[in-house]
Amino acid sequence: MHTKAVVSVGVLAVFVIGAVVLSLLSLRGRNKRDLAEWSVGGRSLGMVFIFMLMAGETYTSFSYLGAAGWSYEYGMPAFYLVAYLSIGFAAGYLVGPILWNYARQHHLHTITDIVSHRFGSPWLGAGVAVLTTFFLLPYIQLQITGMGVVVSTISYGTIGLGVGYVIAFLVSEAFVLASGLRGSAWVSVLKDVLVVVTLLFVFCYVPVHYFGGFGPMMHRLVTERPQWLALPGHGDESLGMLWFASTGLLNGVVYTIFPTTVAGYLGARNPGVLRRNAMIMPLYQVLLFVPVLLGLAALFVVPGLGDSNLAMFQLIVDSLPAWAVGLVGVAGALSAMVPMAVFMLVIGTMWARSILGAHPRTAPHQKRLAQLVTFVLGLTALVFTFIAPSTLVQLSVLSYQGIAQLLPVVLLSLLWKRMSTVAGACGLACGVVTVVLFAATGHETWHGINSGLVGLALNLAVTGLITWFKPADTPADQLAVDERTTPVTSLSSST
Amino acid sequence: MFAGRKSLWWLLGPVVLYTAALPLYNRVEPVILGMPFFMSWTLLATLLTPVCIWLAARRDPLWVADQERS
Repeated sequence: MHTKAVVSVGVLAVFVIGAVVLSLLSLRGRNKRDLAEWSVGGRSLGMVFIFMLMAGETYTSFSYLGAAGWSYEYGMPAFYLVAYLSIGFAAGYLVGPILWNYARQHHLHTITDIVSHRFGSPWLGAGVAVLTTFFLLPYIQLQITGMGVVVSTISYGTIGLGVGYVIAFLVSEAFVLASGLRGSAWVSVLKDVLVVVTLLFVFCYVPVHYFGGFGPMMHRLVTERPQWLALPGHGDESLGMLWFASTGLLNGVVYTIFPTTVAGYLGARNPGVLRRNAMIMPLYQVLLFVPVLLGLAALFVVPGLGDSNLAMFQLIVDSLPAWAVGLVGVAGALSAMVPMAVFMLVIGTMWARSILGAHPRTAPHQKRLAQLVTFVLGLTALVFTFIAPSTLVQLSVLSYQGIAQLLPVVLLSLLWKRMSTVAGACGLACGVVTVVLFAATGHETWHGINSGLVGLALNLAVTGLITWFKPADTPADQLAVDERTTPVTSLSSST
Repeated sequence: MFAGRKSLWWLLGPVVLYTAALPLYNRVEPVILGMPFFMSWTLLATLLTPVCIWLAARRDPLWVADQERS
């Protein structure tokens, strides 16, 4: 192996092992048999951990590879990421505490639990769990693929993609199976520190190294690549203003019920933590400007890349010494592994609560079942990565649009007394069929509007219509309650 | 749930900044601090989002109760 590769891979190995050790340390003094301890950190995480965990979840390997890749390929459309996250944090100020209070009051762990309880229907809960798995599996595969790309690139090509995939799978499983959400929060601290330090460093270094400063780089962009600097950007006419606005709005609201976001919400010690978190999270998104800018810089330095996802890492490998390449690689690798771990944990918990462990006889084994599903799921994603790398990635465009269809049953239903099970289920079915049809025919937009929003509009129309004809009378116990009428107590022994 | 929480309207701030304002800011010129206009507006919106949430929180009875508790 080349000396440079030995150094960068060595740095990567040390930090990855460190991450696993850190996650195991998080378990000291904790109840290792309780599902809530594993799935939502015992609902005991304070401000710092919630911030690190939720910031970490928003900063996935997509932010590293995809944001730079989009910016390289299209330009400004890449900023939809920043737009929807900001809108999502603002919405989260309101939604997070509503879900936290509801879940805390009824001892719920995931969005499927919430659905089961709200409608008094385990079947609907189970159905939602299956749908969610279908929509999230591609995301897990994306993280595995992302990790493979990072490891392979920073090892200067000496480690193959396949080995990278397997490492991603093994390490994520190792820490999530043992330490659950709390371990992920601890590893997030390491990850976020590395992400901030390396991105700021790269941000200062690259423009100076290649362009003689930030000003000259921007000047070249404005004069030579103006097409990239406004919507619809370069090359894809469908990414116009309507697309940007509808995607920003839809994904922003969906962010608040995204299963991994909700896991973060429910991990909080009290709803006040979530409100304060909502206020500072947007500032962290300023960091997303770095991959976007580097993607644009790569237009001049490494033009004509076959795989635009490599835009940022090619720049880094090209310009930095091996140890620094290793550090950026660690940040990139952890950005794949932490979100992936939380994704797997969330789906494992859903299956354990709403499908496999829903029967009284299996209920006592929910934690084991959750861990089993977490393992099988990761393995499935890994196998797909090898045998059908593109199938799931094509499905991943469905992830947000599909989860969006859950908005009425997960959130609206808690506030809407008259909404019935039938109305919710029919609306959901219509919405899902709509987005799947759009995706199957290769359309992501309808007259420039994000197809997920079209699906949601139909979904809401159907839900509203059925509710209007046949309203339900939901008991107050199954609806969200005003936080002011239920005094907040910091968590004691019961979960 | 929403009674006495009128300040929550401020939470729509980011929606206005990023989406409703698009026709105004979807342009390259003028270049501000070296950045094309779309990018500088996005940066401004990102910095103003916490301010909007703070304005919403400031008069929210739940936020006020959080502060008194801690």
